Amino acid sequence: MIAEKEKTTKIEIKTVTKTETKMENKTENKIENKIKEIEIKDLGMAFRDNQGNSVQALTGVNLDIYKGEFISLLGPSGCGKTTLLRMIADLLEPTEGSVHIAGMTPKEIRLQQKFGIVFQSPVLFDWRTVRENIELPLEIMKFGKEERRKRSLEMLDMVGLKNFEKHFPNQLSGGMQQRVNIARAFSIHPEILLMDEPFSALDEFTKEKLHEDLLRIWSQTNKTIIFVTHNIAEAVFLSDRVCVLSPHPGRLSAVVDIDLERTRTIDMKQSAHFNELVAKVRNSFEGGSL
Amino acid sequence: MSKWKNKTFYKWLPMIVWIFALILLWEIGASIVAVTKRTPENVLPHIYQLIQSVLSLKPVSSGKTAIVLVLTSASKTLLRAALGFAIGTLLGFLLALIMKISKIAEKVIFPYLMLVQMIPILGMAPIILSITGNINVSRVVIAAILTFYPVATNTLAGFNAVEREKYELMHSFAAKKSSIYTKVLIPFSVPYLFTGLKISAPMAITASILVDTLQGDGGLGTMLSQSLKHAMSIYVFWQIVFFSALVGILSTYLMGALEKVISPQKRTRKKVIGKGMESNEKKEKKLISQNT
Repeated sequence: MIAEKEKTTKIEIKTVTKTETKMENKTENKIENKIKEIEIKDLGMAFRDNQGNSVQALTGVNLDIYKGEFISLLGPSGCGKTTLLRMIADLLEPTEGSVHIAGMTPKEIRLQQKFGIVFQSPVLFDWRTVRENIELPLEIMKFGKEERRKRSLEMLDMVGLKNFEKHFPNQLSGGMQQRVNIARAFSIHPEILLMDEPFSALDEFTKEKLHEDLLRIWSQTNKTIIFVTHNIAEAVFLSDRVCVLSPHPGRLSAVVDIDLERTRTIDMKQSAHFNELVAKVRNSFEGGSL
Repeated sequence: MSKWKNKTFYKWLPMIVWIFALILLWEIGASIVAVTKRTPENVLPHIYQLIQSVLSLKPVSSGKTAIVLVLTSASKTLLRAALGFAIGTLLGFLLALIMKISKIAEKVIFPYLMLVQMIPILGMAPIILSITGNINVSRVVIAAILTFYPVATNTLAGFNAVEREKYELMHSFAAKKSSIYTKVLIPFSVPYLFTGLKISAPMAITASILVDTLQGDGGLGTMLSQSLKHAMSIYVFWQIVFFSALVGILSTYLMGALEKVISPQKRTRKKVIGKGMESNEKKEKKLISQNT
């Protein structure tokens, strides 16, 4: 009897350890599933000012960005967050270090038309209708009329501007213009979406609506998004990870994991955990120059 | 409806006031001149006398009435002006394009472009006439020279006004240089081009008339100087003055009308009046309710 009992407990223990190892495997798999997409090594950028002096805008940035990740570059003005984004986008040539995307240089990726860019201003062409604006990159990429139409209507639907295809940009509000801008960036089915303070010119209500919409589109399309912002709450609410940059000279001072569960809702902003994360991010700024 | 009437009335009010004020001033002047001068119609005729001369069926020279004479000579002059204007526009636009494409070309061409503008080109008309040896050709050449400068500088200003972000966006799409020009720079610069055209259209006409005076070939300028020398009724002179002024003003308006047809930017404004009456806030609300 006793021996039997021992057996059963042993078996129980065995099964427990088995499940434990299974769980470990699961978490390992999760890490393995993270495919490194962008590798940034010792990246730095020095500008020359009017007097010809070299000014270090950004220095010693090491960062890996994973496929399908929503990552924010957060910091005050002058911290080099936009500079970092522009170097990834091949709009700027770094003076130190390197950026590699899937083993290739940013230029190669750009020439393969895998970047979608969203600037702070909508950069719409006011002589083109909303739909024609979205189709512009597709025209450049020599897509046929049918395909262009199909994609632009699909994108308009996605950003909630279904009935505005024939409107002109100057007939739309700022928030709607930014929606068109986002639709255009997604229309080329980019691998990586680069957003440079896309919502900072919008009012708080429009911004919240666009946050939710952006997260919805992101989860539908599964793109990597690099999001530049100076708004802590915005970065925490949207991101998987927040990269905190500090100025003088611009550098990466911390990377904060945001473990809020996905699908994020506006209510989360009131939760204690959200506020803890905001505080954590705020405290990781160096130099207190906020 | 009454609101609409009021709006159009106020829109035209300044113009109506101006026209009446001018007529009033003119008539006061004419009345004074009629008493003080011996040949008042040479200095300032009454407006009714002008209108009479337009409607008059009495031939003034070689069996033609005054207005027929003015219109036939105008067709000659204006045709040359239009031709020169078209050539000048084309040249100016191409020059702007070249200066935009190549920074070196801009550095080489631009200062000399200014120089051309500083030379009193009308004074050079006799030289151009002796080079070309043909009054019609020199009319075209001078009209073209006067046109191409405003067109070139304004179009270039348009090209240079394209924001950096538009270039960066095109860069991120890996757009070729040619598509940056056709899809961004050229459509963007169209309103600037038309600013140049509105300036140069009346200039081309003025130039053409003045070149006429150099040689008797039956253009407006020729008639102008002949009538001043009393070779025919002085009312031909007055008719030409008014006609030229009218054509000059109309040429600018014509450019405005042309712009509405051609300019991609104007296309938007037309629609704004029709559909865009709804306020943006309303639209946003509508949009949000659609989404939720």
